[in-house]
Order: sequence, then structure tokens, then C-alpha cells
Amino acid sequence: MPRTPPPLRLRDLAVTSPGGRALLTLPKLAIAPGTATVIRGPSGAGKSTLLMALAGLIRPARGEIRWGETDLAALPEPAIARFRRETLGFVFQDHMLFEELSAAENASLAALYAPKAARAGLAARSEALLTRLGLGARGARRVDSFSGGERQRIAVARALATDPPILLADEPTASLDRANADRLVADLMSLARDGGKTVIAVSHDPALIAAADRVLHIEDGALRPESARV
Amino acid sequence: MFNALWHSLPLWAQDGAIALALLAPALLQAPLILRGYRLGPLLRGLLRRHAGLSLVFILLIATSVAIGAAITAQERALRQGSARAADKFDLIVAAPGSEITAMLAAVYLQPSALPLIDGETFAEIAATEQVALAAPIAFGDSWQGAPIVGSTAEFVTHLAETLAEGRLFESTEEAVVGAGVPLEIGARFTPAHGHGVADAAEAHDVAYEVVGRMPRTGSPWDKALIVPVEAVWGVHGLADGHGPDWDGTLGPPFDPSRFPGTPAVLIRASSLWANYALQRAFTTERTMAFFPGNVLSRLHAIMGDLRQILSVVALLTQVLVTAAVLAGLMMLTRLLARRLALLRALGAPRRFIFALTWSFAGSLILAGTALGLLLGLIAARILSGMITARTDVLVTAHLGWPELHLVAGFVSLTLSLALIPAALTIRRPVIADLRL
Ligand SMILES: Nc1ncnc2c1ncn2[C@@H]1O[C@H](COP(=O)(O)OP(=O)(O)OP(=O)(O)O)[C@@H](O)[C@H]1O
Ligand SMILES: [Mg+2]
Repeated sequence: MPRTPPPLRLRDLAVTSPGGRALLTLPKLAIAPGTATVIRGPSGAGKSTLLMALAGLIRPARGEIRWGETDLAALPEPAIARFRRETLGFVFQDHMLFEELSAAENASLAALYAPKAARAGLAARSEALLTRLGLGARGARRVDSFSGGERQRIAVARALATDPPILLADEPTASLDRANADRLVADLMSLARDGGKTVIAVSHDPALIAAADRVLHIEDGALRPESARV
Repeated sequence: MFNALWHSLPLWAQDGAIALALLAPALLQAPLILRGYRLGPLLRGLLRRHAGLSLVFILLIATSVAIGAAITAQERALRQGSARAADKFDLIVAAPGSEITAMLAAVYLQPSALPLIDGETFAEIAATEQVALAAPIAFGDSWQGAPIVGSTAEFVTHLAETLAEGRLFESTEEAVVGAGVPLEIGARFTPAHGHGVADAAEAHDVAYEVVGRMPRTGSPWDKALIVPVEAVWGVHGLADGHGPDWDGTLGPPFDPSRFPGTPAVLIRASSLWANYALQRAFTTERTMAFFPGNVLSRLHAIMGDLRQILSVVALLTQVLVTAAVLAGLMMLTRLLARRLALLRALGAPRRFIFALTWSFAGSLILAGTALGLLLGLIAARILSGMITARTDVLVTAHLGWPELHLVAGFVSLTLSLALIPAALTIRRPVIADLRL
């Protein structure tokens, strides 16, 4: 039973560096549930910073990060971790897998700390995901024997193994060649759409931009006003 | 109340309880920390990834545990072995002097020249009520470095109960040998004066025939060659201990006026309680009497101080190694930082990160401790073998409760210390670590 994603509402958001420099200022932003959003902008603009803040990995200096009723900016650390664990999937730029584990173990990593009752379902789902991503037969092999594109697909399986309503991705295709990037975008989007998930991805990938409902431009830590539907 | 209950427990129960109490911190924290998580795959992965460093830690811990366990096990084995070797020597009478020297000579057959007890005195001792056995122990000669001891057939029976082979000596040309003497029944040997090797010592022109062999006793007597005391006197051109009309029957009674003397006399009392009375009776101007067991206890008590120093040294190495391990674990948590940050970014609970770090440290500690116990046992066995070869006192080292207590304390202490790096890892900044 897929869970309906909560709507995202940012208000008066300000993220500063530990030194106090303003990294990101967002007076207002809303993202509808079940939509796909791509964030783009020049290097150093604050795209990753925004994504980390949305995942609760960076605590803003002020403002609200509301996923439905939950304001991550006001939540204590353990509750944020629980939110990440239960509601978010995350795909990083360079897959960030555990090289010493197998593909299947990486994909079902969350089972290691999930409640006992959820483990079997998690393992089954990660296996099904690997199969759908074309890696099912090689699940038992160690990750260091996989290509870049395959690793990134394992990372997608890991992000979706808990069936999270929200998927965040930071330049998921940046390290891939065109063919692999296209395949990943297709897989990612079809899986997300099938599950009715909210997708927010930092990317310059034309395929991903083309598949998105909405593209946001960030420059110098601020949203450009022309950010709108493509 | 508690005291009475405690002392009513059998020893093993007390030792077990102490071990449990020492292990309690580890046993209590482990389930609390590990509860509900599957750490195996990540733990194995991390150990494999940092195999070299992990091995260094394990060896470091193993060495310190081995030193501690070997020292205590070895020291105990030495105490037990030396006590067992003195088992048969209830009460020794010798001319006044050092009890320790007399004991080393009469019980452990260490070469030394003791003043002699004369015939009058020996006769008085032998005639004392409650004396069941008074056997001269006359040493001084040797064969290929092994001691030749003159005594009586009763003494051989007292020492060996039943012979492993052959019979008791019946004439002054016969000998009964210890289990470790490389002479067959029927073989002949020539005694040398003093304790050198055969050619260095002055040889006597007599030969003995081996007629019997004692079973193994685990004492220096396994290397001894026992001959009739009359033969020892005869070899040295002394009186034979008997009157002019002696029919050649060996052993007591001896004629006091023709008794050349003996450096030591073994006494067995007819009943246990008589021992102390006999010791008092034989403590005179001409003789001293002592229980080798008591002398040994006093020696062990003196060595007890040494033992304490050794255990402090062992403990210090362990504390140092623990500190080194702890410092190493801090480094290791930095090494692990990126992967731990990744887990946290994915939503792993902090307690999971804590448990992973702690059990990583715990695996090293447990593996090191187990290896250390094994190495310690092997080291103690080798040391024991060397001591046995040197002294003929059978010393066998086992791991016992003291070692288990030491190890239990060590494991609890280090596992508790491992909470520190575990607590530090969950305080690290996730984002900064992810960028490492
Ligand atoms: N912990 C930090 N301390 C100081 N400055 C930081 C910190 N984290 C990020 N920044 C700065 O914030 C700005 C935005 O960084 P961010 O990583 O969000 O950029 P980005 O848009 O993702 O760029 P890229 O496309 O290169 O990934 C950069 O100037 C960066 O140097
Ligand atoms: Mg970035």
C-alpha cells in the first residue's frame, strides 16, 4: 500500500554556513505531492544545500521546512532521523554504496536497523527492485564488481527499498555516460511515478529535466523568479 | 549474614560468582546496545575493509592478555608442582642450619654439602615413639649428573608404594632407579664422587646393578638412583652401620657406634597429629626438624610479594594496551566516519551507529582476548616444560579461575571504554563527514 506523500512547504527559510555566511534564502516555496521537480543552477549556488535541508541533514538558521504537518526545522535529531528512515529515499551523486557488501545487502541496508516486522518486506522489495533494474541475477555479488551505471541503479534500489513517498536525488546521473544516464532517468521516473512519489532532484540532465513537472533555478542561494513549469 | 552465605558456598561457586560479577558490565551493556539490530553484515564488511589495522589491534590486545594469563598461570603451576614434589616428605630432620638448604637438598636433590647427623642421634630419632619410619637420606654421589641417594628399602616403598618394574634392592650392589633414569633392569653403573658429569668427577671402583624402577612421581626423584645406605658408606670406605657379626641384611636397626652419619632423615609419624610433637621433639641443639610443606609455603609467601609485583606489571601492560587500543579506536572511528555518516544520512538511528562502532571495537577486544588466552596458555606450557626439564619438578600450567577473572575484568573494562568512541561517533557532523 503506497503512502501518499505529504506536500512540501518552505517558509522564510535561511541556511547559513557555520561561519554565518548566508548560503540559501528562500522566502516561500511549495511543492505539490506526487510531482517531479528538478533543481538547477550554477555550481556553488546552493542546490545541494537546499536538498540537504529538505532531508533534515542541515538545520536552517531560521524558517520552516514543512513536510505536511512535520516541520523538520523544529524537530529534534532522533525524530529527523526517523523521518528520513520512514519517509525519505536519497540518491547521491556518486552512489555511496558499501563496497564490501553485496548488491542485495546494499539495496536492503535499511533492514539492518528496521524493526523486525519490517525486515522481510524490505528484503523482498529490494530484491524486486534489483530485478526490475536488471540486476536481480547478480544480487549476491560484491558491489566493487559493478559498473558505474549499475552501482547507481543499486543506489536507486536502496533509496526505494523502504517504499518512501519522497525521493530526493543529488545529481544522480552526473557520473554516468549518456546511455547509462538515460536508462537511470527512465528507471527512476517510472518507479517514482508508479508509486505516486514526490521526486526532487538536483540535476542538469536534459532527460531528467524533460521528465520533470517543474524546474527550479537557484543562483547565489536564492530562487530565480522565472522558476516555473517547463 | 551475606558473609556467612558467601563462605558456605563451594569454592567453584565463589569463583564463578566473581567471574560473573566481573563480566557483569559487559553482559549487561551488550544486549542493551545491540538489541533489535542486525549488525553482522556491516560488521564483517568493516572488519574486512580494515583487516590490517584490525589485526594489529587484535595482536596488541592478545599480547597483553597473554602476558597476564601466562604470568599468573605459570606462577600457580610452579607453586602446585613444587608442593606436589614435596608431598611424600612429611617431616625432615637434619643438622641445624638453613631449612631451605636442607629442603632443597633432601626433597629436590639439589647438590649441597650438609653437616651429618651421627649414629647416637639417629638411633634416638628412630627409637622415638610415634615414629613409623625414620629413613636416612644420604646424598653426595652421582651418575652422569643424576643423584645417587643412599637409603633403605622402606624409604623406596614409602616414596613409590609399588614399583613400576623389578624389585627392591637386597644387597649393597643393587639399586632401584627413578622413572626417568635411562638404565634398563639389569644394567650396571659406577658412581662418581660429587655431582659433576662422570669424567669430571672422581669415579669409585664399585658398580651397582639396577633391579627395580619406581613409577613416575613428577619430582626430581624421577632422575635419582637409590641404593642401600650401607653401600654409600662402603663406597666411601666408612663403617657399614652394623656390628661385626652383621649377616648382610640391609636397613635398620643400625649400630649407633658404627653409623657414619647421614645428612638428612625422613620421618613419617604413625599418626597425623603426632607430627607436631615429633617436630618439637627433634628440634634440639644437635638437630632441626621441619615440614617441607611449611617451608615451601613460607617461600611462596616471600614469592607472593614478587607475584604481586608481577601482577601489577601485567595489569600495567594491560592498562597501557587498553589506552593504546582506545586511542586506536578513536582513530578508527575517523576512518569509519564517512560510512557512518552515510548510514545516518540514510536515516539509520543513532543507536545503530553507536552499536556498530561499539561492536566493531568489541569484536577486536573479544578476538584479541580469545587469542591472548590461547597464546598465554601456550607460553605458560612452554615455560612449564622448560622448568620441568631444568628441575625435574613436574610443572603443568592450566588456565584457571584467576586467569578467567583477569580476562573477565579486562573484557568488561575495555568494552566499557569502547563506549567512549561509540559515543563520540554519534556526535560527529553528518554533512561534514559525508564530504570526507
Ligand atoms: N559547511 C559549509 N561551510 C561553509 N560553506 C559551505 C558549507 N557547505 C556549503 N558551503 C558553501 O555553500 C555554497 C553552496 O554549496 P552547495 O554544495 O549547495 O552548492 P551546489 O549548488 O550544490 O554546487 P555544485 O553544483 O557544485 O554541487 C557554496 O559556496 C559552498 O562553498
Ligand atoms: Mg551540489
